[in-house]
This record gives sequence, structure tokens and C-alpha cells, in this order.
Amino acid sequence: MKRKLVTAILCASMAVGMLAGCGSSSAKKSGGDAGGKTEMKVEGDNVTTLNVWTFIELHQKFYTTMAEKWNEEHPDKKVRLVLQNMAYDDMHNKLSLALESGKGAPDIADIELGKFPSFIAEKDIKLKDLSDAIAPYKDDVVQSRLDIYSKDGVPYGLPTHVGTTVAFYNTELLEKAGIDYTTIKTWDDFKEAGVKYHKATGKDFACAETSASWMVNLMLAQKGGDYIDASGKVNMANNKELKEVLQYIKDMQDAGALATVPGGQPDNEEAYPHYNNGDFAVQIMPFWQTSRFTNYMKDLSGKVAIAAVPKFGDSDATWTIGGGGTGTAIVASSKNADLAAEVMAYIKLSPEANKEVWNVLGFDPVNTSVWTDTSLTENPDNQFVKYFANKPFQPLLEMKDSIGSLKSLSDEKMPSINNVICTQLLTNIYESGSDIDSELKSAQDTLDNEFSS
Amino acid sequence: MKKFFYSQKAAPYVFVLPFVLTVLLFWLGPIIKGINLSFQDVMKDQWVGLGNYQRLLTDKIFWKAVSNSVKYCILTLVLLIPFPLLFAVLLNSHLMKHSNIFKSIYFLPALTSVVVAGTVFRLMFGEASESLLNQVIGLFGHAPIKWLKSQGTAYFALLTLCCWRWTGVNIMYFLAGIQSIPADLYEAAEIDGASKWQQFKSITIPLVKPTTIYVLTISIYAGLAMFLESFMLWRGNNSPNNIGLTIVGYLYRQGIEKRAMGYACAVGIVLLIFVMIVNFIQLKLNGTFSKEER
Amino acid sequence: MADLSVMSEQARASYKKKKRRDNGKTAGLIILFTILAVLIIIPIYVLFIASFKPGDDFVAYGLNLNPEFSKWSLVNYDLLFNGDHNYWIWFRNSIILTVITVVLTLLVSAFVAYGFAAYEFKGRNFLFMIVLGIMSVPFEVIMLPLYQQMSDWQLMDTYFAIVIPFLANASTIFFFRQYLLGMPKSLIEAGRIDGATEYGIFFKLIIPIMKPAFAAMAILNGMNAWNNYMWPLLVIRSEDKYTLTLGLNTLLNPYGNNYSLLIVGSCFSIIPIFILFIAFQKYFIEGMTAGAVKG
Repeated sequence: MKRKLVTAILCASMAVGMLAGCGSSSAKKSGGDAGGKTEMKVEGDNVTTLNVWTFIELHQKFYTTMAEKWNEEHPDKKVRLVLQNMAYDDMHNKLSLALESGKGAPDIADIELGKFPSFIAEKDIKLKDLSDAIAPYKDDVVQSRLDIYSKDGVPYGLPTHVGTTVAFYNTELLEKAGIDYTTIKTWDDFKEAGVKYHKATGKDFACAETSASWMVNLMLAQKGGDYIDASGKVNMANNKELKEVLQYIKDMQDAGALATVPGGQPDNEEAYPHYNNGDFAVQIMPFWQTSRFTNYMKDLSGKVAIAAVPKFGDSDATWTIGGGGTGTAIVASSKNADLAAEVMAYIKLSPEANKEVWNVLGFDPVNTSVWTDTSLTENPDNQFVKYFANKPFQPLLEMKDSIGSLKSLSDEKMPSINNVICTQLLTNIYESGSDIDSELKSAQDTLDNEFSS
Repeated sequence: MKKFFYSQKAAPYVFVLPFVLTVLLFWLGPIIKGINLSFQDVMKDQWVGLGNYQRLLTDKIFWKAVSNSVKYCILTLVLLIPFPLLFAVLLNSHLMKHSNIFKSIYFLPALTSVVVAGTVFRLMFGEASESLLNQVIGLFGHAPIKWLKSQGTAYFALLTLCCWRWTGVNIMYFLAGIQSIPADLYEAAEIDGASKWQQFKSITIPLVKPTTIYVLTISIYAGLAMFLESFMLWRGNNSPNNIGLTIVGYLYRQGIEKRAMGYACAVGIVLLIFVMIVNFIQLKLNGTFSKEER
Repeated sequence: MADLSVMSEQARASYKKKKRRDNGKTAGLIILFTILAVLIIIPIYVLFIASFKPGDDFVAYGLNLNPEFSKWSLVNYDLLFNGDHNYWIWFRNSIILTVITVVLTLLVSAFVAYGFAAYEFKGRNFLFMIVLGIMSVPFEVIMLPLYQQMSDWQLMDTYFAIVIPFLANASTIFFFRQYLLGMPKSLIEAGRIDGATEYGIFFKLIIPIMKPAFAAMAILNGMNAWNNYMWPLLVIRSEDKYTLTLGLNTLLNPYGNNYSLLIVGSCFSIIPIFILFIAFQKYFIEGMTAGAVKG
């Protein structure tokens, strides 16, 4: 009997042990073929292994391709990347928990712009200062894109692209309505064209965003406004520029130039088909929307032209802004932080890398030295060059010297501000028709309440 | 030593040992840690005393979450206790045929994960006129509705999802309760000429009370702690105007999304106290304690 | 069955009338429950037909009842069986995790419940109050501190951390105790007379009589383990350890969705747990009834 009991307990403990064993053995097996994890194979000794967390699968291939180039050029500082891809929320949550507890963090991680501020909010920032690593490329890189990942002038993230906000026009639809997109230079022109289009076709010209703020941010930046004031406080209720922008969009909506779209913004799975089938003709979006066109709006191939965004006037604070993005950060406590910073700066900022950014990912490269390389930007075999009706880089070059940003994008309050804008403010104004002043007031209250402590 | 281990005196303690260990290591430990953290600002590594709790008192979004959770909880109780009980009684009736097939069908939704169910419901409650719910109201000549964007319709979606998943499970609980009622009670009542309704009222309801209390307890718990349903229906924790935000959703937002661990723990402790009080009152009213303490 | 031949004319008529009325009631009940069944089947039906439609479609237009046979294809199923993805790894992980969780939880919980049901000992009532108390503590309250604790113990990214805190499961213990209260005490006495140890009695005599209760709890615990999401989400880091629910949810993210695989994968994820349910269903009600909460 005794023996039976001992056996039973042994069995149970073995089963428990199996649980622990289970995990580790399958991890070894996974190797290169499991989609989530990619390990580079590097020959030679003295190779440094770097763990990388990403949330976009495509970035893995890009990083490994570039890391191989790095190893060729720097045989003395070879690296072996071990990349792990996780779901968007998941990766950020786990990174934050890992940094907090000081255990299990990778060497390198991609952090999305909207999540970045919370990683550099605390006193004791756990990411590495990248000033030295960026130095060799600094002159060619769009400064405002470094700023959004910086705090007090210290950069903590390496940008992937500029995300220049541009206008995408469905030329076929506009021509039918008798509209020439090249004549749209100002927002007043834009509005007029929208009204005309709506009257002629009964369909909608562009959307009034409710779940994102690409256009709102752009117009606000053009007016020289922001969501926080000079002293760093949230500024909604008495924000003259923001009020003007919201009112301007409201007027466009009332005049029939804009309408809300299912999904609330052009970069949304519910919205794509409405653009694809011609319910809407125009998008004001960051440049990376190109890849959404080629993936989700295939019917529009050859019909869409990319143009510079409209302005309010010549005295605008900036012409365009960068939107969205991912900053690659180095974990400061990593043993190989210095090398990781150097390698990643090469992978993300060097001209070689930026060519790949366009070829593989279809983004506007953050190193503008490659923008004028027509063998790259006008390569007839490139899928994006093929898709769009005009030269994609033309509007970029046009606006190159006036790519600004909102200061608040790198502010620790921004995730909350953005959340209020995209779940409350815009929905209530453009979906429910609420009063702008009172909505701004209530947004202010919500945010003040949150930051009161 | 060995002898002691096998003695009748020691055995009960050995039997309950795994539970005691679990409680100490995985419940009591974390609860104490949570209480401790709730007095801190973890990001700034500061002791803030009651600061987090004071902040909760004036935090409108927190109260919005509380009100959502409480309303949701009450509505689920109203829908998920009387109806399943009634259905269970009818299913158990000798007049009902093929009841096993129906039972399996009703149980099916509980077997689908919230991840799957939430996604399916999100797409059924889509904005497009072709989505299922808009199709249905279209039959009555109603224009498409943005279901997940306003308060009333959002609750409707949440409750539909909840009823869909749990009606079958609660029917099962009640069926089990009903079947443990001795059949001769009904026979006696039948002879006395009691109508079916009278039998239901004076035999079934009082005798399934323990089951009802059990279902009530777990439903209160589940209602107040609801999160995943909302998380899946809005594909994240960001419903417009926080119409789908729940207490646990707020805890998740603060602790995981905003990394304010201390504040999130304060939310958790408030939830804990809340659930404890509600269940205590409920059990007191139902007189469970007097029996247990015997 | 009443024997009509021996009944009086009148009794026969009234019996026939009652029979007819009963038949009417049965039909009414069947109609009622069929309507309810249809309502409950709709989302699953919708999911099922969607698995044959192109993925972009239901994203754009939502899910609906139209079969639209013209759009049907097996593309999604081809993707499921031949595509380059981790679905089957997640599937395997979920099965392993569910089986281990269910077996261990039932064993450990029954062990503890037996202690509560079979013995009078000092502190029993106090401990049992704790069982009741813990049943009403939302797990979410301790989720974050527990996470930190697991991470302190270096248990992150292991199945161990997912399973171990819930082995002595309060509501399962509660149920088993209820069940065991109804067992004959003479069984234990007989065991003792036969010279079995206290533990021997549990393993040899008690476990066999608990089968219906095990069936009921296997279904409920299996359901929870198969569909568990929040805690594994926090604990598991490597994608090759993802369970089905975690994996399916990764198919949806702001950087490109895979609805085709999600829908067809969701369809398939219901199958194993449904089989478990069908297999144990016979004992389910029996077990639930036997352990039904008696005041």
C-alpha cells in the first residue's frame, strides 16, 4: 500500500515536471521553421547573439537581411539575431512588464509610436541613449522623426520610416466628376472639390476620421497648434487652433465634402473595401498607406495618384507631418547594448538599409539621401511604382524640407490624449453631431482628471 | 514519523495540504502583495499612502467602468436566472421528448472560447448593412445601426453574447438541481390537485434554492469581473466613450497598458471588496451562513 | 402504457383527450425549444458558412446568414491544412495543456475534497470558509501581483506557471465535497477494517465511486482550460508555446489580419472540446445532480 502511494505521488510530480519540461523541449525544437521565432545562422567564433522582439512579422526578414550585410562588412563584430514576433498589444505589454521586473527583457525591441512615450515616461528610463549610434547618419535623417522617440533631446528609438502625410486621389473617379486633383493646393480647394464631387456623384469624397487622427494632427500642425501647451499641460478646452481645425472639418462634413466611413478611418479593415469599391475617393494618410493599397485595395491599381497634402496658406507652420511609426529601442541593461545600438543604427538608418525599406516594405525611407536615387525610386519593377498612377516620391521631394511633427507625440501624456481623441472626441463630434466646445471641455475634464495626481 | 503520516489524525491535514499551500502561495501572497502595491506609485517607486484610492474616488472613467460592470451584472442576473430555470423545468417535463439533443445544443456555445465568440459577434454586429443584425432589422425596414458605438445597443450586444454563452450552462445547473428533488413530492401534490404552476412555485423554487444561490454567486462574480467579452467585441480595450469599459478592463488598462501597477492594484482591491460585500449580503439574505456555521 | 381494452368507454374517451392534449403540449414544447436551439445555433452556423467564404468578405460586410454559394471555396481549409502557420502547434499545445490541467486538477481537488468530506478535524470549518471565500475572489484581482511573483520565481513562459496555481481549484473542491458528503461512511470503515491506509482508501475506494462527479468536473474544467485566455496571455511569451486562444487572437492585429485562418481555425477549435462534452455528457447531468448544491 505504502509503495502504491509513493508511486502515485511520484506520478503526480512527474506529470508536473513534464509540464515544465514540455515547454523547454518544444522551444528547442522550434528552430527556424516556427513562424514566431527566427534564428540567424552565423559562421565563425566570437559571434554576439542579440534577442529581438518585433510585432510585425515582415520586420524579421528585413532585420536578418540587413544583419547579414552588417556581418559581411564587420567580420570582427558579427552578430546573430534571434527574433521573436508577438502580437501587437502582447509584445508591448510583455516588454513593459519585463522592463519593470528587470527579468526576461530582450536586447532589442520594436516599440510603436503610440506606446513609446510610456517607455520613456519614468524617471529611470530603461532604454539606451542612442545619440552616439545615430551620429554617423544624423545629417541625412529627418530630424522630426528622431524627435518623436526622444526625451529632453536624448533619442531612445530608431525610426523605420518618415510616414510623410500625403494625399491619395482616385484619379478615375475624380476625372468622371470633372475634378483635376493637381489643382487642389489649399484646404479650401479641397473642400470645394469635395462638395463638387459629392454633388456630381452622390458618393463621398473623403472621410471625417473618428477612430484615428491623421488629418486632424496634420491640420493642427499646419496651424502651429498642439495638444499640450508650452508648460506641458494638456490643452483641449481652450485650444484655439484645435477648435479651428475641428470646426473646419465639421464645415466640410456639413457641406457634403466629408462623411464618416465604417471603421472610422482609412487604415481599417472595415474601411478598405469602401475605398476599393469607390464609395470614397480620397485619403489623407501617411505614406505607408501605400502598402495597404497594394494589399487591400487591389482594384484601384493604376488609378491612384499620390500628391502633396493641401495647406491652409503659405504662412503654415509646416507643410506636412510624419504619421505613425515604430521606434527600435535598445534595452539599457543588456550586456551587449553598445553593439546592439551600433548594429541597429546601421540596420535602420544607413542608406543601404533605407533602400531595402522602400523595396521590401514600401515605406518612405527616413534617410532622405536615397529619395533622389531615381534608379531606386522609379524602378519600373517595383510593385509600388507599378501600382500608383504617378511617381510616388514626387510629393515627398516636394515637401521634403517641411516635414514637421507635433511636439506632444513624444509626450508621456500622448497615449491618453490620443485615446480620448479617438474614442470620444472625434466620434462624438462627427458621428453624433455633438457641440465642439462642450466636447473639448469634456475631453479636457477627462484628461485633467487622469493627470491630476 | 511515518506512522504519524499514516495516522487518522494527520491524514486530514495531508489531504487538505495542497489547498492550504495553494492558498498561501497563489492567493494570499498575491493579495497581500496587491494591497501593498496599491499604496505605491510603482513607476516612481514612491509610497503614496491612500493616494491611489483618493484618486479612484474622483476618477470619472473608473466610475463609468463601475457603473458598466454593475449594470451588466444586474442585467445578466435578470436574464440568466429565471429563464434558464424555466427552461430547465420544461426540459425536465415528462412531456418533453428528445431533450438530450436540445441539452447538447444549448451547451455548445459555452464550449466556444470568448476569443472566437467575441470575434463572431463583433462581425455579426458590424456596421455594414449586410451584417447579420442589420440584415434582421432591415427586414423591418430599419436603417443600419452602428451597434457597437452607442451605449444602449452596445449593452444589447454584450448581453446577447453573454446569454448566448451561458443560458445552456445555467440550464444544466438547474436541471441537476431539479432532478435531485424527490419525485414523490410532485406526486403527492398532484394527488392534492395542485396545478403545475402551484407545484413550480411551492416545490421547485424552494427546493432548487441551493442551486439558485450557487448560480447567483458565480453569476455575480462573473458579471462584476467581466472583461474578455468586451475586450473581444471591441477588439481591444478602447470602446468609444468607454461604453464597454468594465472594472477589470480598467485594471488591465492601468496595470498593463499604462504600466501604473500601483493604481491598477488599487482598482483590484476595490473590486475584491466590492465582490465580497455583494456576495456576503446575498448569502446573508439567503441564510446560507446560518447553515454553514452549524 | 394504459391498457385501453379494459377501460370503460368514458375513461377511454377522457384518456384519449388527455393524450391528445399532452401531444399538443409536447409539440408546443418542442417548437419552443427548437426556436431556442435555432437562435443558439445561428452564430455557429454563421461561423461555419463563413469558413467557406473569402476572408476579406466578412471583414467588409460583417457576418450574415446568406450562404452565397457562388463565393464558396475550400481556400480557407487549404490554408488551414497546408498553409504556413502555427495553427497545429497551438492546437497540440492546447490539447496537452487541457489534458494535463484536467487530470491534475481533478486528482488534486478530489484529494482535498475528500479531506473535507471524510474527516472531522480542527480548523476544518475555517478552511472550508476559505474555500467558499476564494470561490468569490475574482482572479483578475490577484492577476498582476501573481504575475510579478511568477516572474520573481523565474517561471514565466512555462506551462507550469499556467497550471500550478489552479490545481487545488476552489469550486471543484466545493463540488467534490458536496458529492462526497453523500457517500456511505461505511465504505471508509470497511476499508479501514481491511487494513487500507487513509490514503489507500481514497485512491482505491473513493476514486472509483467518483466517476460521475469526475465527468461533470472534467467538462467544466476542460472547458475552462481549453478556452483560458487572460492568464496564459500574460505568462506565455514564445509563440511556439501559444495555445489556440492566444494564437487565434494574434491573427488579429493592427498590422495585418488573417481572417481566413481565424474563422476556419475558430471553427475547428470547437471540435475537440465538443467531443469531450459528447463523450462525458451521459455522466454529466448524473454527476451534477449527485453533487448538486444541497443547502
